[in-house]
Amino acid sequence: MGPMNGSGDLSSEMEVDAFRRLFPLWFHERHLLESIRPDGRSLGRARDTTLALGAVASADGSALAKIGCTTMLAAIKMEVMTPTVESPDEGCIAVEFHMPPICSAIVRPGRPAEVAPVVSKQLSDTLLRQVVMTFSGMIDLKDLSLVSGKAAWMAYLDIYCLDADGALFDTALLSAVAAFCHLKFPMVSLNDDGRVVVVSGESKGGKSGKEAVNKEQRKLNLISIPFSLTCTLHNNYILADPTAEEESIMETLVTVILDSSLRLVSFYKPGGPVLAFTSAVM
Amino acid sequence: MEYVNPEGIREDGRRPLEMRHLHAEIGTVARADGSAVFEMGNTKVIAAVYGPREVQNRSQQLNDQALVRCEYTMPNFSTGDRMRKPKGDRRSTEISLVIRQTMEACILTHLMPRSQIDIYVQVLSADGGTRSACINAATLALADAGIPMRDLVTSCSAGYLNSTPLLDLSYFEDSAGGPDVTVGILPKLDKVTLLQMDARLPIDIFEIVVQLATEGCKAVANYIHEVLLENTKQLEYRRGL
Repeated sequence: MGPMNGSGDLSSEMEVDAFRRLFPLWFHERHLLESIRPDGRSLGRARDTTLALGAVASADGSALAKIGCTTMLAAIKMEVMTPTVESPDEGCIAVEFHMPPICSAIVRPGRPAEVAPVVSKQLSDTLLRQVVMTFSGMIDLKDLSLVSGKAAWMAYLDIYCLDADGALFDTALLSAVAAFCHLKFPMVSLNDDGRVVVVSGESKGGKSGKEAVNKEQRKLNLISIPFSLTCTLHNNYILADPTAEEESIMETLVTVILDSSLRLVSFYKPGGPVLAFTSAVM
Repeated sequence: MEYVNPEGIREDGRRPLEMRHLHAEIGTVARADGSAVFEMGNTKVIAAVYGPREVQNRSQQLNDQALVRCEYTMPNFSTGDRMRKPKGDRRSTEISLVIRQTMEACILTHLMPRSQIDIYVQVLSADGGTRSACINAATLALADAGIPMRDLVTSCSAGYLNSTPLLDLSYFEDSAGGPDVTVGILPKLDKVTLLQMDARLPIDIFEIVVQLATEGCKAVANYIHEVLLENTKQLEYRRGL
């Protein structure tokens, strides 16, 4: 939150900063009248996005996503488990979204943020969705099966928010999808009890002598990749990709998720003032 | 098991008195008042400082000094196997307490009465020496937040395996079961604020290992000084001075 004007006039700088803190709504509305936002973006413009795959060396798949200042680290660890009786050839994915107190001044240790379980639920719905007639989820759980009825993969996806500056769901989804893209299945082999066991990558002295069942580490097959965008609506203005400051003062929030064939996957508007349907769809 | 081979090289290719590669960045968490990322080899830690701000729990408010709180968490994926309880387990609580008391010793708390300073440390990747990396990251984050301190606190670990004192243990060397000494010092004042050791060690060897760890701390302090100086130059440049 640097000074508004580049010339360091101290007295007017103080006023702008104080005005921003004391009357945030007026501050932003004055900007909206000029069709611009405090950080210089136009109303429909999203922030710079960066993505880094393989951020965590100890995980099977990981990614670090940044939209503006919002930073999320996603990592996937795979474990072998026995599948359930009802679906013997399907694996399982457990999605957990954490907001540690490092990410924002509002989160206190011991009391999790209100928005964390909401984002967590939205994420697991998007990644695992199965519609009865057509299959529109991102991952086919059958892909995660090893031996039908005996062994399947359990993928633990953990997403940690390292910096919360608005558009949390977008960044979380981006990092989760990227982590799945980066995921490589660990090698497994049959140990003496006939159970499937994960073999660590490096062979230490070749003591084990077990043959790995799947030597080539294959990647997960993603069916359709979802993308999302969050917008806030205020009076008649639609602002794309809000920062935390804008989110806290604007009236309502809308999240739209599309998949790679541009079909609408999800539309989410959690309460807030009623507005005309057409303007919302636009 | 051989941790130092006969030529004097350790398992990861270092010499016994060699530290791992250090890397630090300031200002990584935009929302925090001060933040830093500190890497010692493969151990990567991010620290964020919020404060001084209003005390959240009025009953804990101290009228003559600031309240310092610290929380240490490790995400599920930071170690080899996935951990079930990332925080609230005994080790995390103990390390949180250790970091808090170490930083409290060097922050000038009497300058900020009735306020609270929160230090949150999160381990992104663990490969031994997480305690030291956390303290170093917390120091940088406090400096970035502009909180007045007596001196920087730097920390380093050292051990003794195969009759050789080793500096900056990695996870592999740490899990060997030999002694592990962690030292935290205030470099300019040359005072020790943290000293922890487990396993057994004869007293004369103990002195050697502590001396070694202190040297390591001083090397870290030099590096932190450089990083802070560079950061200040950048700030000056941006303000147009």
